[in-house]
Formats: sequence, C-alpha cells, structure tokens
Amino acid sequence: MLRYTLKRLLLLVPLLLGVVVVVFALMRLVPGDPAVVFLGQDATPEAVAQLRKSLDLDKPWPVQLGRYIANVARGDLGDSIFRGESVMAAIASRLPATVEVAVAALLIAVLVGLPLGVLAALRRGSPIDVGSMVFAQLGVSMPVFWLGILLMFWFAVELNWLPAVGRGESLHHALFAALGGRPGVLGESLRHLALPAFALALNSAAVMSRLVRTSMLDVLQVEYVRAARGKGVANRRVIVTHALRNALLPVVNVIGLRFGALLGGAVLTESIFGWPGLGQLVVTAISQRDFPLVQGIVLVFALMFALVNLAVDLVTAALDPRMRLEV
Amino acid sequence: MTALRCATLIFGLLAIGCGERGRSVDVVRVGTDVDAESLDPRLTRNTTGYRVINLLYDGLVLVDSTFEPTPNLARRWEHPTPTTWVFYLRETARFHDGTPVTAADVVSTFQTLLDPSLNAPQRRLYTPIADVAALDRHTVQFTLHEPYAPFLAYLDMGIVPHHLTDEDHDLGNQPVGSGPYRLARWSKGYRIVLDANADYWDGAPTVSRVDVIVVPDNTARAQAFEAGDLDIIQSPLAPQDVQRLIGRGRFQHEMMPGIAVTYLNFNTATPLLADVRMRRALAMLVDQATIIEQIYERMDEPASSLFPTSSWAHSPAIGQPQYDPTGAAALLSSMGWNDADGDGVREKNGRDLVIRLGTHSEDLNRVQTVEFMQNTLRNAGIRTTLEVSDWASFSARRDAGDFEIILLGWTQIIDPDRVTFEQLHSSGGLNWGRYTNPRVDRLLEEGRSAERKSDRTAIYRSVAHIIAEDVPYYILSYQGYQAFWSPHVRGFTPDPRGMLRSLAQSTLAR
Repeated sequence: MLRYTLKRLLLLVPLLLGVVVVVFALMRLVPGDPAVVFLGQDATPEAVAQLRKSLDLDKPWPVQLGRYIANVARGDLGDSIFRGESVMAAIASRLPATVEVAVAALLIAVLVGLPLGVLAALRRGSPIDVGSMVFAQLGVSMPVFWLGILLMFWFAVELNWLPAVGRGESLHHALFAALGGRPGVLGESLRHLALPAFALALNSAAVMSRLVRTSMLDVLQVEYVRAARGKGVANRRVIVTHALRNALLPVVNVIGLRFGALLGGAVLTESIFGWPGLGQLVVTAISQRDFPLVQGIVLVFALMFALVNLAVDLVTAALDPRMRLEV
Repeated sequence: MTALRCATLIFGLLAIGCGERGRSVDVVRVGTDVDAESLDPRLTRNTTGYRVINLLYDGLVLVDSTFEPTPNLARRWEHPTPTTWVFYLRETARFHDGTPVTAADVVSTFQTLLDPSLNAPQRRLYTPIADVAALDRHTVQFTLHEPYAPFLAYLDMGIVPHHLTDEDHDLGNQPVGSGPYRLARWSKGYRIVLDANADYWDGAPTVSRVDVIVVPDNTARAQAFEAGDLDIIQSPLAPQDVQRLIGRGRFQHEMMPGIAVTYLNFNTATPLLADVRMRRALAMLVDQATIIEQIYERMDEPASSLFPTSSWAHSPAIGQPQYDPTGAAALLSSMGWNDADGDGVREKNGRDLVIRLGTHSEDLNRVQTVEFMQNTLRNAGIRTTLEVSDWASFSARRDAGDFEIILLGWTQIIDPDRVTFEQLHSSGGLNWGRYTNPRVDRLLEEGRSAERKSDRTAIYRSVAHIIAEDVPYYILSYQGYQAFWSPHVRGFTPDPRGMLRSLAQSTLAR
C-alpha cells in the first residue's frame, strides 16, 4: 500500500503540471487584459502598456509559462495583481473557510443520505421510499443559489433562528474557545455554518440517498445475506454487518467525486452567504483576469481533489480486502 | 443513542450561540457587494474601497452630499491666479500613528499620485497639476499647467503620511490616515472593521465601530438586512427586494438621484454609424419608457440628456430623440434602407442592415435591455447581433474600438468635466466611439478653464444640447440610488455616492 501511495503521489506531478498549462492557456485565450481592469476606465494606453510590462504580460506566452512553472516548482505561486498580497497568502487566508463548509456539507450529506437510503431500501415501496424519492428529486433539481436564498429567507428572515450571512470564528479556534470554557463561541460558529453547509449538502445528500438505496437493494438480494437470515442471525446484525458494509463500497467512491462537486458548489454558496472562502475569491479573480490568483486557486482545488480521491481509494481497499491496489 | 447525544450536543451549542448573538450597540454593520482591493487612497479602484477610505482618510476638502467641496484638512484656501491654489492646513490634524499632518504629506501624496510608476487609477484627473510645493509646515501651493475648474472637487483625495510612503510601507493593506475611523481588522473578502479615532481633530465619533461586511449577492444582502444582521445597505439592490423592504414599513429608506448614467455609445468611426441620421434613427427605436418601467422597475429615471438630475449642469429643456418607430422607419427609408425583398430585414445596395449591439454580462438589467432592443430593432427591419461578455472581455473590445453600439455606464459625475472631456473631446483617451466635433472640443476646453460656475453651466448645457442632436451617446437612464438603514442609526444621511461619512456624526439608539 505504501508503494501504491507513493506512486499515486508521484503521478500528481504530471497531473498538476497539466492543470497549470491548461488553466494558463485558458486564461490567456479569453479576451480581457488585467492591466486594463486594474487601471480602470480612466487609464491611458501608456499606463496600460507600462503595467503590462511590469507584470511580464508583454512577454511571449511560452516565456511567461516557463517562468511560472519554474516559480511554482520553487513553491512560489506569485503575487495577486489586484490584492496586494501573495497568491499563497490569499489562498491560505481563505482555504480554511472553504474546507470548513465543504467538509461540513459532506458530513451532512452522509448523515442525511445514508440513513435515508438504507430506510428507503428496507421499506421499498413504502411512504418512506416515496418520500426519499421526492427528496432526491428536489435535491438534484434545485439550484444551490436558489436553495440558499430560500433557506436564508425561512431561517434567518422569517424565523430569525440563524444568522443570514457571514462566518463566526473558524471552527478550530471556536473549539479551543469551547474547551477554554466559552462554548458560546463554538455555538456561534456552528450557527453561521449551518445554512451554507445545508444549502451545499442537499444535492450530495440526494445523490447519496439514491445510491445507497440501490446499492442496499442489490446487496440484500445476494446469497450470503439470505444465508445469514436463514441461519437466524438477528435482522439488525444482518443489515448493519452484512449488507450495509458491502453496500457502502460504491458510496465511499462517490464521496471522493462529490467532494469535487462540493468545491464547485462552494463558489455559489460562498457568494450568497458572504462566506469568505476560495470560491468567492476565484469568481472575483476570474472576472478581473487576475491570472496568478486564478492559476493558484485552481491548482489548489486540483490538489485537494486528487488527494481526497487518493484517500478514498485507500479507504476502499481497507474496507474491501478483495480490492488490490495495483502498483 | 450516540446519534441522539450528538444531536443534543449540536443543538445545545446552537442554542448557546443564540444567547451570544447579542452585540454591542455602538457598532454599525454596513453590507456591501464587493470587498475593497486596496485601502491606499491613491490606488483604490472600487466602490467599497472609496467608501472605506472616505472614513479612514481626510482629503484637503470634503465633497459633501450636494457635491460641494467643503473645508476638511484644509481649513481654508485661496485662488490668487487662475493657475494657482494655496491651501492652509489644520494644525491639530494627526495621522492614526500620532504624527501631525503637514504640507510635506500633501506634497508627497500628489507627487506619488502623479508618478506613472505608481499606476494610480485616477492619475489622469490630476495631470493638470504642474507643481505642488510646501510654502511652510502648514501651507501648500498647487500650480496648474492651465486653468482647471474641476480641480477643487477632486481634492478630496485622501492624504497619506509621507514618512510611510517614503518607507515603502504597504498602505494598501495597513492604511494610516487622519480620518474619523482607523482600521482595526481586515478579513479579506469578508469584513473590514473600523474603530473610531479617539484623537480625531473634529472630535471622536459616537459610533465606536463600523463593520463593513461583504455579501456579493444583492438579494442575500437585502435579506441579511431584513433579518437584522446588517444595519445599512445601499445600491445595487434588486427592484423586488427594494419593494419588499419598503413594504415592511420598519426601515428608513431614501431613493435619490445618483451620480451615474447608463448610455448607448455609438461608434461613429464605423461606416454605418458615421451618418448622424442613422444614429438618430436608432435612438428613435429605443423604447426608453418600457425599458425603465419593465426592466429597471423605475429604480432608475428615464434620461433626457447627458447630465443626471443630481448635476448642476442638468437642464430639463434639453431633449434627445424620442421613441418614434414610424419616424425612424421614414428616416431609414429616406437613407435608402428598405425591405425590398420582403424578408423582414432592410437592405441597401444588396447589403442587409445588421447592427452589432453589446454589453457586459455582470449587469443583468443591461443584458435584458439589449435583448429587448434586439426585438424592437427587428420589428423596424434591423437585424441585431448581440455581443454579451464579461467585463474584462467587453472592455478589451471596447478599448480596441471593436464595436458598433455598446450599453454601459459612467459614474462619479461630480463635475460635468468627468463625463465629457476624455469621453467626447476628439483627443479624449476614453472617446471609444471616435466622436469628433470641433465645436464640442472648443466648448469642453472652455468648460475646464472657465472660472465662474454660471459660465460653466451654460457651456456644459451647450455641450449636452449638441450631444443630444449628434447622438454619439444616447443616455438611457439616470441611475437611481437606494439606501436602507435601521431606525436605531440616528443621524445617518445617505449620499448618492454611497459614502458613509455621516456615520462619524451619527448616534445609536439604545
């Protein structure tokens, strides 16, 4: 497993290199000049030309790309054109917020989708099954920005239960504060996290519930489950130990893929809830043509996605001894 | 049981958080759509940046909500010759780091602003300055290349401490001004926290903290205000949210004429639009009333000429071509554009009448407007190619002159020069439509140098009249400005530029 992990980590290098080249090319193929956006409508052509020169944008693409890759190899993602800070600093200040909301959404998706899928499979054709179907349809078809506005309207405006926008203390700070005798700080952080996390989670919860249902129905029909029932094993044990464990295998794989969807969904969710994460930052960076910042954020997203999927593969192998990790 | 325990713990924490939700009452929370990019007054570029800097820094003058320059760091000034201005500074003013504000700071601010290597976005407004010199510790003199009437209105530029500009201090992220508030914390992309400056020369503000919170989505921002998470919100706001908030009846609200216009820019360098008759015919096909009523839901006013109603140069007596499809059809036919083959599109010399119409995708009202216009033009026998792209792509095409008609806006029309000289003078750097009229050139030059406001008013009204006749611009609307604030914020006066300066004189009801 160690060799497999090392190989996968080494494969990240060409993968990330490919991502860098593609994003670099895409940003420059789209019309729009960061120097013009930076200097605004009042800028003279001379000022634009000078700024382009100082940003190295007057150099041929291959030269720009070569310098960028060399800098990235040294761990330097460059400076944001607009924000007056390094790309690394901009990402470091926003990454925890995005990870927080994405992980919270993933947890909610699992906690809602898994039991719902199991119940729907065990009570096939019952009102619970139909209800889970309706939930899945709604979850898949409702756009995240619309759901976010609705949740905000109900829970913040009408009921006034939760804050509409913003973020409390970061969760790890809030946890330390709670351990230090100030549980209210953690409560406030969770209250801020609740709406964006639920809005982001719904789609994944819906997908997961359908997948678990299908997977459970398949497993419940296989011979070893029927054999276990025939031997008189308690129903609860049959479901949890024999059926659910095997039904979970495809679900674990999907979790890796859903993480990518959650990062994409975070772009919209963060804008609606004023959540200070990478999603909001990348939208602004793209519209401004802040080349180094867009490239840096996409690189980080790609790295996170690859690492999560590597972890998923390792977990799958641990869950299923039949899985062999090819080296 | 484990799940039950977890759920109990989470709901318990949420409930405790609920108890902690109360806040100190001397904080005002302002919702905004974008984060500031730089808090250096010389380098800021967006609305939030301008508004926060207006609280952090003092300029020589303060442009009030009626756009009149009033004393600020300069307690008085003299104008001994048409090209000389002398300013006398307050001796009690200090920067947030405790150092006194002196003439050297003013000199340094404007010298660095004019230095091309700083890449200051507003540098162009200050290039008429030939020299700025300190006459003594608290007196500074500006010498201009030529008389420049709008000069005083542009001197609200925040003064930065010269000992920090010289030291290469990062003022963009660590601002040190002399204004009524100082920066306490800036969580990028989320919140800018300002604390009252206890040593402010005009007395410490009563509102001890201003919390500027970024919520990009207009509807979400309105809902956060409605939920009590924000105390002040301003344009841009969705019309339906404005109506809902007004309907609630428990918020302070003001709608005022803004300082911005939305307009169609005709590229007079293209063969089709070089002919003023064609531009007039197209202007006569803009169903302005329907656009303002249905798309802008009356949040903007229908425009009648170049300057908005908030400008002293505005005159209701000047009128652009009115919506008149019949008149437009007759004009097009008189130019030889007819639909002889009956395919619904006019043609001339075998060429169909096709117009490119563009705007940027960030403003949905503008996108809807060009789509609506496409339909109106089709009914008049004109085929339209829509070109809608994001701002960066749109501005790249615009700057290259690669367009026929574009829908966009001008803002910050504090002085009429701001929306005319660079835009409509034949040598103007922002004259994307290549409009040339020697009479307009002469008038704009006179408008810059005339000393008396009455003379300038007459000059700019003449310009507006010619533009309404020549139609290089068709002004679609005067942008309205909306502000909502909680009743407990007493003494807050909305400003059409969105400035929050009156918070320094506001109080909070307990």
